[in-house]
Amino acid sequence: MKRRDFFKHLGSAAVVAATVTPTMSFAAAKQANTISYKNALDAITGGKSAKTSKSVHLKVPEIAENGAVVPVTITVDSPMTDADYVKAIHILVSKNGNARCLDAHLTPANGKAMLATRVKLNGTQDVSAVIALSNGEFLIATQGVKVTIGGCG
Amino acid sequence: MKPGIKIVLSLALLSSLSFGGESFAMSDADRAMYTEMLENNPADILVESGNELLEELVGGDAALAAFYKVTEDDLAKYIAGFPRYIEDFKQVVTISQSLQGLMHKHGHKPFKLKSAKMFELSSYVKSIANGENINIDINANKHIKKSYAMGENNYMTPRGGRGLACNSCHSDAVIGTVLRTQPLPDLSSKGVAVAATWPAYRMTKSSLRTLPRRFQGCMKNALLKVIPLGSEEMVALEVYLTHQAKGSEIAIPGLKR
Amino acid sequence: MAKRKSLIKIKPKKYKDGDIVKVSFMVMHPMETGTRKDKKTKQVLPAKYINNVKFAYNGKVITTLNVWETLSTNPVFTTYMKINGKGNLTVNYTDNTGEANEKSKKIKPKG
Ligand code: HEC
Repeated sequence: MKRRDFFKHLGSAAVVAATVTPTMSFAAAKQANTISYKNALDAITGGKSAKTSKSVHLKVPEIAENGAVVPVTITVDSPMTDADYVKAIHILVSKNGNARCLDAHLTPANGKAMLATRVKLNGTQDVSAVIALSNGEFLIATQGVKVTIGGCG
Repeated sequence: MKPGIKIVLSLALLSSLSFGGESFAMSDADRAMYTEMLENNPADILVESGNELLEELVGGDAALAAFYKVTEDDLAKYIAGFPRYIEDFKQVVTISQSLQGLMHKHGHKPFKLKSAKMFELSSYVKSIANGENINIDINANKHIKKSYAMGENNYMTPRGGRGLACNSCHSDAVIGTVLRTQPLPDLSSKGVAVAATWPAYRMTKSSLRTLPRRFQGCMKNALLKVIPLGSEEMVALEVYLTHQAKGSEIAIPGLKR
Repeated sequence: MAKRKSLIKIKPKKYKDGDIVKVSFMVMHPMETGTRKDKKTKQVLPAKYINNVKFAYNGKVITTLNVWETLSTNPVFTTYMKINGKGNLTVNYTDNTGEANEKSKKIKPKG
């Protein structure tokens, strides 16, 4: 027992182990949500295409030192007026059993289109920000995150 | 088995930032993101709750200052000097132990040192000193001098099944090398300033932890005998490491992996 | 029903009408995925996660969040809001088991 703890903390040190085995699997879920990335994206856009855009700034770490707490910050350049604003910021991930993380429905009263939170990543994967604009268009930005220790380490 | 493990460990200590040929060093941008997370630390909730606890128990900061026999203006500086020898206790005490005394004096049953409520209360009290520099004085009297010496000795002396000391993993010689993707932290550098950044929220535990609790974590993982919270030895270790961080600015709650 | 510990933070602390300020809401909540096993009992822990968070400023909803179990334990949510008179910012949040809670903070613009 003690010994396993020891290895958990340091025995499987870099040079020794060839792979890091995630200690749990979202896929083994019984009652958990299972929503694929594609289904999630379609549900948000209604099948419309989402354009990549320079006005979407998605910030995630390149390497997450702990998959259980991965900071995600999304800012969209937008005047946030009644005529032109960001209606929603969606966070999706590509490999968790459930691709959906959060939908933020904004209004011009926010003044600035930004959402920051922290997600659990069950292994290395992509994080996407899908943006719904008030004119009905969708924008998207995606970035990979390398997770060194699995989601619930 | 034991010798094998020792070899594994020393290899691990020597290996620098690589993992199966891949680099796992964090970029500066990534570090900045994690630093930014400090702005919204879940433990802020618990520090705030500690503030409410202090108000409920004794009425707030004024009663605490009175208990420490300092003015409210001097409270932050005073707190930045813990652990310290207090005559009423006849020993060197940590903030948490002093708060047990405070609770007792006000007719409450003191929270246990390892209780969540004590973590909240003591974190709040230490946060009163946020922005102050650690000003522990290990030459103030013979009691704290002795405690420091004991702490240094505990820190340096190999113990336990693997013959490791705290210093085996936290000395100048090995800091920065990586143990299972974790760089070994330099506990005395101004950058880490361990004593100035604990109590902290540990993301891997999703909870607020104190410095002695963190020590216990290392003791368990490295198979050193786990020293009980509040014991003379444990207080001495805290005195030693707090002195290493002397002059560092206190920023509570910290945020750790 | 468990009263949850939570906190609303506004940055900067001093603001005036018309300012756009950062608002963070954080809450102690397990965000249990429904896939993890209890270390001792080996039983699968039932899913328990926040699924909705509403920010209302003087009664008007300005931001609504739909949330899944994939967010971190003790979640933090940060957005912005435009200061528009004194009053209250209220955050109502529910979880998938029907637990509902509320936290509010006074909005006091200066100048
Ligand atoms: C076998 C190596 C090893 C030994 C022995 C060891 N530690 Fe550690 N310690 C580590 C590692 C690795 C970390 C960083 C782990 C992490 O980030 O999760 C660490 C982290 C810490 C931290 C937290 C640093 C921070 O970032 O704030 C403290 C405090 C600490 N150790 C104190 C001690 C004390 C006191 C002892 C002796 C009782 C000790 N350690 C013995 C390996 C060790």
